[in-house]
Amino acid sequence: MKPSAFAYHAPATIDDAVTLLAELGDGAKVIAGGQSLVPMLSLRLAYFDHLVDIGRIPELRGIRHESDAVVVGATTVDAAIEHDAEIRKRVPLLARATPYIGHFQIRNRGTVGGSIAHADPAAEYPAVALALDAEIEAVSPRGRRRIPAERFFTGFWTTTLEQDELLVGTYFPAWTGRTGFAVREFARRHGDFAIAGAVVGVQLDGDGRIERGAIGLLGLGPTPLRATAAELALVGKKADVATDELGQLAMSDLTEVPSDLHGSAGYRRRVGAAMVTRALDDAISEASSG
Amino acid sequence: MTVTAGARFVGQRVARREDIRFLTGRGRYVDDIELPRILHVAFARSHVARGRIVTVDTSEAQALPGVKAIYVAGDLASLVHNHTVDDEPHGRDRPFRLFADGDVRYVGEPIAMVVAENRYQAEDAVDAIAIDIASDEPVLDPESALNADAPLVHPGTSSNVYIDIPSVDNPALDEVLASAPVVLTETFRQHRHATVPMETRGILASWDPLRDELTVWISTQGPHGVRAQMARVLGIDDSQVHVIMPDVGGAFGLKMHPRPEELATVVVTKLLGQPVKWIQDRRENLMADEQARHDQATVTMAADEAGTLLGAKVDFLEVGGAFPSPGGSAAVFTTLLFPGPYRLPAFGTSARTVHTNTPGRGAYRGPWMIETVVREQMIDCLAARLGVDPLELRRRNAIREEDLPYTMATGLAYDQMTGYATLEQAAEKIGYEALREQQRAWRADGRLVGIGICLLAEPTAMSFGWMTSDAATVRIAQNGQVTVAHSGASHGQSLETTIAQVVADELGVELDQVRVVQGDTDATPLGAGTGGSRSAVILGGAARGASREVRDRMVAIVAHQLEASPDDLVVGGGRVHVAGTPTRGMTIGEIATQAYTMPAMLPPGAPLGLEAQSRYAPESFCTWSNACHICVCEIDPATGAVEILRYVVSEDCGVMVNPNVVEGQIAGGVVQGIGGVLYEHMPYDDVGNPLATTFVDYLLPTATEVPEIEYGHIETPAPTNPGGHKGLGEGGAIAAPPAIVNAIADALLPLGVKVRSQPLGPADIVALIEAASP
Amino acid sequence: MADVSVRLVVNGEEKQANVEPRRTLADFLREDCRLTGTHLGCEHGVCGACTVLVDGAAVRSCLMFAVQANGAEVTTVEGISRPDGELNRVQEAFREAHGLQCGFCTPGFVVSVTAFLRDHPSPSDQEIKEALSGNLCRCTGYQGIINAVRLAAGANS
Repeated sequence: MKPSAFAYHAPATIDDAVTLLAELGDGAKVIAGGQSLVPMLSLRLAYFDHLVDIGRIPELRGIRHESDAVVVGATTVDAAIEHDAEIRKRVPLLARATPYIGHFQIRNRGTVGGSIAHADPAAEYPAVALALDAEIEAVSPRGRRRIPAERFFTGFWTTTLEQDELLVGTYFPAWTGRTGFAVREFARRHGDFAIAGAVVGVQLDGDGRIERGAIGLLGLGPTPLRATAAELALVGKKADVATDELGQLAMSDLTEVPSDLHGSAGYRRRVGAAMVTRALDDAISEASSG
Repeated sequence: MTVTAGARFVGQRVARREDIRFLTGRGRYVDDIELPRILHVAFARSHVARGRIVTVDTSEAQALPGVKAIYVAGDLASLVHNHTVDDEPHGRDRPFRLFADGDVRYVGEPIAMVVAENRYQAEDAVDAIAIDIASDEPVLDPESALNADAPLVHPGTSSNVYIDIPSVDNPALDEVLASAPVVLTETFRQHRHATVPMETRGILASWDPLRDELTVWISTQGPHGVRAQMARVLGIDDSQVHVIMPDVGGAFGLKMHPRPEELATVVVTKLLGQPVKWIQDRRENLMADEQARHDQATVTMAADEAGTLLGAKVDFLEVGGAFPSPGGSAAVFTTLLFPGPYRLPAFGTSARTVHTNTPGRGAYRGPWMIETVVREQMIDCLAARLGVDPLELRRRNAIREEDLPYTMATGLAYDQMTGYATLEQAAEKIGYEALREQQRAWRADGRLVGIGICLLAEPTAMSFGWMTSDAATVRIAQNGQVTVAHSGASHGQSLETTIAQVVADELGVELDQVRVVQGDTDATPLGAGTGGSRSAVILGGAARGASREVRDRMVAIVAHQLEASPDDLVVGGGRVHVAGTPTRGMTIGEIATQAYTMPAMLPPGAPLGLEAQSRYAPESFCTWSNACHICVCEIDPATGAVEILRYVVSEDCGVMVNPNVVEGQIAGGVVQGIGGVLYEHMPYDDVGNPLATTFVDYLLPTATEVPEIEYGHIETPAPTNPGGHKGLGEGGAIAAPPAIVNAIADALLPLGVKVRSQPLGPADIVALIEAASP
Repeated sequence: MADVSVRLVVNGEEKQANVEPRRTLADFLREDCRLTGTHLGCEHGVCGACTVLVDGAAVRSCLMFAVQANGAEVTTVEGISRPDGELNRVQEAFREAHGLQCGFCTPGFVVSVTAFLRDHPSPSDQEIKEALSGNLCRCTGYQGIINAVRLAAGANS
């Protein structure tokens, strides 16, 4: 299974990359880790005349700590997140979601930016970005902008990035206070794409009441989703909140739950409810003990 | 009596010789072989399950860089003189064609063959071939295929049924079924699997126009069969064909017979006079290669109130696909084997096999296994109906030593069968009583934990037709090195080591003095290759026979030299010497030197040299081995996920040559069974498109999905072969699915769920749970 | 589409070639470098038979293009043995634990496990199984493979 031919470009700077994308137009595709793109090329499910390899641009790789956010460069590999002690402390959801991504060999090449730009609804990083209200930084010939996650994912494998726009980094807000985080996903086998999953963060106030909650959903729509109704229902509740009801609530306003050979929409809702429930239990328990 | 100094290697967990090259990346598989001027192949295939080919336009593809030739059916089909395999049942009745011709009969059927300088270019050309097919309604499931007004998969046939084994009048059985206190009828269905060795098929064929000779390297499990078939394909003599089986990355039955693509590669190398290589890619392997296990059966079983089995009737329906492989159907075997290791006094059966517009059925590790699957499920249904524990029900009916020899109602006879002993060993190993006790507590807690059992009788080393015998040539060189050239074709079965173990013991030499040769048709005796759990028995018998002949000659030479009686001589330590006086003797190298170069030193009339070939066929049609599998699983009701908590196998394969190899074979089969029930499924949509054509959708278990398998071994020597061995290679794959299915059914019993079909992936289990409690 | 010049170090030896951009690293290693120990089991990044080390990290060579490996250090299974050609501790353990049968998946496992144990010298059983989950085997049922990793890790302590 060999890909069809393409021309290869390896720009050394962000500006060069963006200029190339603008010049080459629709027939060009950015390649970072390639863990999602290369199989599609090999299976000839996708064809591009040009690949623009952004893996040689030093400014795109790396983790930067700001006072209230962690900024992850686009071509930072998943494995770097997995092994970063600071991220484990400041953005635990990002760290905890990482081991679910495929297998360690995939994580050695796959990138955070690549995952977010590819926007698979069953992937971990897009859901984490959405749950944490991350901001995606992108550069185009028209300049630099920061796109809130809630506006970024527009459809299956589709984002608001323009064709000549390069994702350069993602700002993940760091929560402070009495927080708890959890990832629960169900996949057919270890490392497979989630059939349904939840990435959850909760924060308790001084009285032990939930003052904010974030519930990101994987595999339950054409994009990652926020279970907004369930998040609202969390606010003000104590740690003994009925998380099974919240799991059901999180499923109740989903309108485009996928159905395929691994499960019907109804099945995915059942699993999704359980994942939300279990993740909330874990997160609330962690926050309570903190 | 000549004594060979001890069985030093047989029975030991000897480390494998073949491991050295595999671990260091120095294995040589067919795709690793390069030749000058080699060309590469890719196929354009049908994207329609059933329909009429309107156009195939290769003009644009022909002009692409590196393309040497593009062939369609009309170009090559007439160049195939005879496509049949050795011993092919019914001669040329099997539907066969090289490529789709005028119409297509399954998605993936080859339509055009591109030959190019490299595979990248070949695939570019495939992309550029314009194919237009007018689709017709396909036949996809077996029950539809039976309908009188079903479309015909093969035009010109009278129905889609191509094997029909009708039931035989059996008034005794009818009486039993009419009058027994308990009579149950159930229909069980099993889904379509793919075989999936880690190495796909591949062939490198090279026609030498100067010598009119064909050399073929092929990923196969039967090199001599390939040789004979390719000679027939080209209409030339066997002597003009040289087949070399390199290292092969697994087969499990898939590679017993070449596919049309491989035949086409042979035809094309002769046409072009250049070496031509086709390596099947994984998508072709999943989508267009032989499939398996798509079966169903309706079972009626009768028992008395105490649970004694009185009789059974089974009607099998086997799905054969469009172009079944020569060994694809197991219908006959299922009808003969159903009674299993139980006393079943009355039995009747029928079987049919139907064509469908899907890839042909091939043999896959225990191809007849549906008989064990449905029998063991039925026994659990009976146990539930009677309120008897499933283990206890099996105890009551399993054949015991005092029942032997036991002739099954189907006519096959057990000369030995230790199913009962394996049942007891497995039960003890898993702590069955305590486990049932524990299960009561778990159930009270709302946990869905189940225990499933399978008792298996495995017909190994089946000896008939082309598979009747195996042969080995043992040769000792003047430096004392032993070479065994055999007719087997190990592709993971460790024969390079186990045959050396057997021969080293027979000849009293060190293991690394024995070199094992296989797979080269110029260097090895004729045989069917490796499959059918035959090697320990049949190949082992041949290796022993040849070794003993050579050993006897050595003893005769030394006896003559030393003027000693053969009875006073010991073979061991690489020498033949007088018992008690080790210094009075000769090394085997010295004996060989005399045998080859000093005829005057030999006993009068003794044959020259130290080389002998022995061809061995077992006394019985098959050598029975048996096992009991017990599986404990837990189901997560929210997701339907199944976790296997424990898995115990008690098996009796007679004298084990290498316990590592025995356990490895069982483990591989068990995990294929886990895969089959819980993860693997080859579904088609309603117009015949395959839905699982990559590893993203056809799911094999990984290390995180498998339990630790616990083994118990019983070694009851087989009386019918010199080593006392029995086969076992397929047993794991046969017994694991029913053990797992029964465990799932047992786990779901409190919910009132009936499990009658597979697969049992998590969504399937949730569907069963939801249906039982609406 | 013009060929691109690539230069990389493979098993300690410098390799230079002009390759099509679409040529996978796996094919480059197998065909241009004649290192056929790296196997193609699926060519879509699931089975792991093609695993090699790129700058020390275990990766699926069928999911990389040779051009992406320009300037990198690549280690294949052929480069995993000890400098004297003897089996390394991982290879020895696989042999002792009967962790292979047909051998086709084996190079991918050997490379993956060598990298894993280098980075996690004392793994738990669960960590071992998760680390192995990126490589498929059809022959062994993973029993011997898991035991091999336990054995190789135990040889550390």
